[in-house]
Amino acid sequence: MSGPLLRNRWFVGSVGGTFLLLVFSVFVGFVWLPSAQDDSLFKGLLNSICSAAGVPRSWLGEASAPVTSPVKVSEVVMTPTTLDEPSSGGGVGRGATLALRCTMCHGLRGVSTSQTPTLAGQYASSLYKELRDFQSGARASAVMAPLVAELHDQDLRDLSAYYASLPRQQSPATQDLQSAPDIVATGAPMRNIPPCGSCHGRLTAKLGVPWLDPQPRDYLKTQLEAFAHGTRRNDTSAQMRNIARNMTTEEIDASVDYYSGTR
Amino acid sequence: MARAVPADPHDGEAVAKRIENRWALTMVGLVALLVAMVIFTGLHWATMPPSRVETINPSTLHVSGEFVESNLGSAVETDGSVTVRIVGQQYSFTPQCIVVPSRTPVTFRVTSADVIHGMLITGTNINSMVSPGYISTFKTRFEKPGDHLMPCHEFCGTGHEGMWANVKVVEPDAFARLVGPTRRASCDL
Ligand SMILES: [Cu+2]
Repeated sequence: MSGPLLRNRWFVGSVGGTFLLLVFSVFVGFVWLPSAQDDSLFKGLLNSICSAAGVPRSWLGEASAPVTSPVKVSEVVMTPTTLDEPSSGGGVGRGATLALRCTMCHGLRGVSTSQTPTLAGQYASSLYKELRDFQSGARASAVMAPLVAELHDQDLRDLSAYYASLPRQQSPATQDLQSAPDIVATGAPMRNIPPCGSCHGRLTAKLGVPWLDPQPRDYLKTQLEAFAHGTRRNDTSAQMRNIARNMTTEEIDASVDYYSGTR
Repeated sequence: MARAVPADPHDGEAVAKRIENRWALTMVGLVALLVAMVIFTGLHWATMPPSRVETINPSTLHVSGEFVESNLGSAVETDGSVTVRIVGQQYSFTPQCIVVPSRTPVTFRVTSADVIHGMLITGTNINSMVSPGYISTFKTRFEKPGDHLMPCHEFCGTGHEGMWANVKVVEPDAFARLVGPTRRASCDL
């Protein structure tokens, strides 16, 4: 059976040639080309084969130790599943009881009538992150710090679940993205500013980021300016400071007006 | 019966064989050319498949390790080279302004905290994917001082168009003045 095939010179030539090409290509890809790289992890046969094949390794080599922050930064780890661990489900009732301490400033049902933020219908992920940051000191507040100091992680989860479950207040002016100012709907890409709506809802949302409308105007403006001046720093990896510091005074006012419904 | 077939007056077998030979040679030539191109670009232009694979947990970048906020930007190493660490996230790079010295070996370490981003530095051949879970490492050298843009070139969401950073290449002595006591530098405000 194999005899006649092996005597066919076209068969031998094409299959043999293809095989030799494979062997040569493996040599080129795993040995020859890696040898042109100057990292020490490409030196030596085994090293170059492993590195070229994509075995995970440490590519930095010698480097100075990481510099730790002199100020407290947020250490909250947020993933899409952070808040759906079994123990944290169904904490709404317990959260409602715990929330009695919050009603003085944040309203009976999470709707604030003063300059404190409205919490009803806020994303649980955002509530939980901010509570943890108040607790750790990453977000400074003389009022919030003592109120959350004693709470356990489960308390914070239940509080977040409770406020997230309350009906969201919607001011008519902000229901329509058509009426949104440019900074909210399109941002200012030429000045490094993505639209507010790409993270804060309406367009798309980002994990751990708050829904903004309607919130008291003074609160929004104070926070936005604190991000711009770097006095509030609990946004993970500077994601909000990067944007706020590029905004003009007019853009800050326009976005704050929109999200507060000029309340 | 087969013997009854008359001899082919056009010599068909020889013609087919000649054409087969030509095709075979053309194909071998094409393959050889392509392989030679791969080898040439690999050796002389350092084109290589992304093979410096290194993994990292994208959800804890800000908590510990080399990508904590205070360690981002340019770090001066003991051998005089510079390591630049950047985090990409929806929708910005941190730091937003990266400063590096000219005529100095620079190692970039870039990773993402959420989705797949990309980065390229205009006017250079620097171009890399920035993937969550992986650290992109590459070495380079800027010959001349100048300003470059560094856009995210992988669509990463509705705010993608606002995601870019500045890269400032400055003279080594000007860079030395920017480096603080922690041997870190960035040109963020
Ligand atoms: Cu991006």
